[in-house]
Amino acid sequence: MKKLLKPLEPILSKSLNKVESFIHTYPSVNFLFGSLFGAFDGLLRSAKETTQTQPFIRNNYDVKRFMGAVLVALVIGWVLPATYFFGWQCVVSKLLVSFIVGVFVVDVLWAIIAREDHISEGGFVSCLLIPAILPPQAPLWLVGLGAALAILFRNVLGGVGNNLVNPALFSRLFLTICFPSLLVTGYQMPFVGIPDLHSFRYGLDAVTHATPLTAFKTNGEVTSYLSLMLGTSGGSLGETCRLALILSGLWLIKIRVVNWRIPVSYLGSVLILSVFLSLIMGKAVFPPLFQILSGGLILGAFFMATDPITTTYNQTAKWIYGAGCGFITVLIRDFTSLPEGVMYSILLMNLLAIPIQSLMVKIRYRM
Amino acid sequence: MGKETIGFKGGFNLLDTYPLRFCNIIERISSDGIPEVFEFRVPAQKIQHVIVNLCPTEPWALPNWVILEHKTDAFLNKLKEIKTRYFPEARYYIAINKKEDEPVSAVKDYACNAEWMKVFAVDAKYPQDDPVILSKVILGIETNFGNDTMSQGVLILDAQTVTAIYESCILGNKVNSRYIALSGTGLKENEIINVQLGTSLEKILRNRVKESGQYRVFVNGPLHGREITDLSQKMDWSINNIVVLEELDKKVMFPMFKSDELVLTTNMLGELRRCVYCNFCDDMCPVDLEPALYYYSYKRGEKHKARLYNLEKCIECGLCSFICPSKLELLQIIKECKALDKQT
Repeated sequence: MKKLLKPLEPILSKSLNKVESFIHTYPSVNFLFGSLFGAFDGLLRSAKETTQTQPFIRNNYDVKRFMGAVLVALVIGWVLPATYFFGWQCVVSKLLVSFIVGVFVVDVLWAIIAREDHISEGGFVSCLLIPAILPPQAPLWLVGLGAALAILFRNVLGGVGNNLVNPALFSRLFLTICFPSLLVTGYQMPFVGIPDLHSFRYGLDAVTHATPLTAFKTNGEVTSYLSLMLGTSGGSLGETCRLALILSGLWLIKIRVVNWRIPVSYLGSVLILSVFLSLIMGKAVFPPLFQILSGGLILGAFFMATDPITTTYNQTAKWIYGAGCGFITVLIRDFTSLPEGVMYSILLMNLLAIPIQSLMVKIRYRM
Repeated sequence: MGKETIGFKGGFNLLDTYPLRFCNIIERISSDGIPEVFEFRVPAQKIQHVIVNLCPTEPWALPNWVILEHKTDAFLNKLKEIKTRYFPEARYYIAINKKEDEPVSAVKDYACNAEWMKVFAVDAKYPQDDPVILSKVILGIETNFGNDTMSQGVLILDAQTVTAIYESCILGNKVNSRYIALSGTGLKENEIINVQLGTSLEKILRNRVKESGQYRVFVNGPLHGREITDLSQKMDWSINNIVVLEELDKKVMFPMFKSDELVLTTNMLGELRRCVYCNFCDDMCPVDLEPALYYYSYKRGEKHKARLYNLEKCIECGLCSFICPSKLELLQIIKECKALDKQT
């Protein structure tokens, strides 16, 4: 890779310098395309700023790498398994729509209108999450609308670093309210077996089935844990293959992008409360292990609840935050008519994170 | 008898991150004028504890082998002479990097027969050798940054000062030179030199820096040391090492494949972003603070509120700014908030 790029370097560098000086000489061009060029340039070249204050060396780790690691983990966690289970045509088209609408239209337009000095990397993560939390047979316009809403909502609140709630989940909430019928149908059954050309492209087309959570609620049917783990049962596009999600989530914990406290407290509190409830109420509620492996809980615990800016900053408060997510998830799943509670629990705890944070800070510093 | 490894929460292992190798040959540089002479003033306070710091945690600091020269016993005998002459009642503690097997075993063997000293094999993660951390980890004494540990009866010596006290006060020789570690990407090679005090930095760096490109000079390490813009400055005893870093103020293509070219330069290695609550800073903080809280106080224009969050405990090691992926100037913010604290 390095050798391949070597001859390209001087040519690219020169032409980028030319474009840069061109943009900076014309204020109106800079006004429109400065941030776009900045974002593109930032992907290819390092920053030229140098340290002016102590400490004079900095670690070789920036937000781009941070977000890049999440992107890699998401690709391994859901894009690759979903391509196998639902066919590439379903996955790739949704990803394309999500990225083009979310990042390249809404975010770029916002950067031009609001005169942002750069386009944030966080948009890629949100746009990669949008198709994952929608049903496999969701129409493409729904994916595009979701991506646009997520990015728009995040930018209205002030961009990455200011978002109050997880933008991807917020847009899914919006879509759930506006198009309820589209969000409860279209759960295509995953393809199982040795893929041929047809299945690799389409998966098992047009065979839909209730998700494991709905199946349990309607007729008490418990899907086998192995099939839940490997992803051979129905569900949203990105949440089915729990094994891949857990592995990539653990990798993120290892490189410290994801704070281990949140997944541990989230999954732990779900386990504790569901064991407690099933001891009292028996078969009326979800069995504990089924509770953990079904629905979007694994995806939510490793990738959504841990979205750094929407959690609390204080480390002790992260335990409360994660436990709160877990309790709300179990309560919604067991005692309401909603099919899934992960989205609501994370959104609610995102909002509660701010009071929890200020309370913990007050306790810690005795104010 | 020697004690097992102890440590503190947080910190960062710089030695593994930036492995620097020094040339074995030590060159002598003499000053043009009359060299200054090292003087040891016996402190007026009663010294109860003496900590000998044999644990450099920064790769650019002077390594132990230069002073010990594989003769650890001889070094400890010198320390014993100093003990009998100056501080006979004090307790002696030796903090040594637990990864350096040879001196650790030598010191531990020696300590078996000497009950006046205690050995602490410590993790060499930065900032273990900071006075505040050293006295807290070894003695359990809480001091604030900027206060002299001497007022609490703790004297902290490094290896080179021990030999210099021995040479000048016990043998009566004139000590007018010291060892300096020279390293960094702006130099042709990393080396250790013996410099007479009073030599100008310009003379030390002459013919040693790379001809091409700009460079910046830092003394006592780029993390908590200071930048030298005026190279005519004279050497003194407080300078332990000189780091010359390449000033990389241009854009480099494909930085993700070139981490080896970019590290240890003055480049920011990233762009300024907002805080994303990654918790790197408070994981790293050796004194268990939450630097992002100061950032938020500062950003809201409430600098005075920063001192509510244990601001006075900060030892200004610079790890929070060093690690921040959003490249926030956290140490600068902390210093500004501290300065405000003093005014009011």
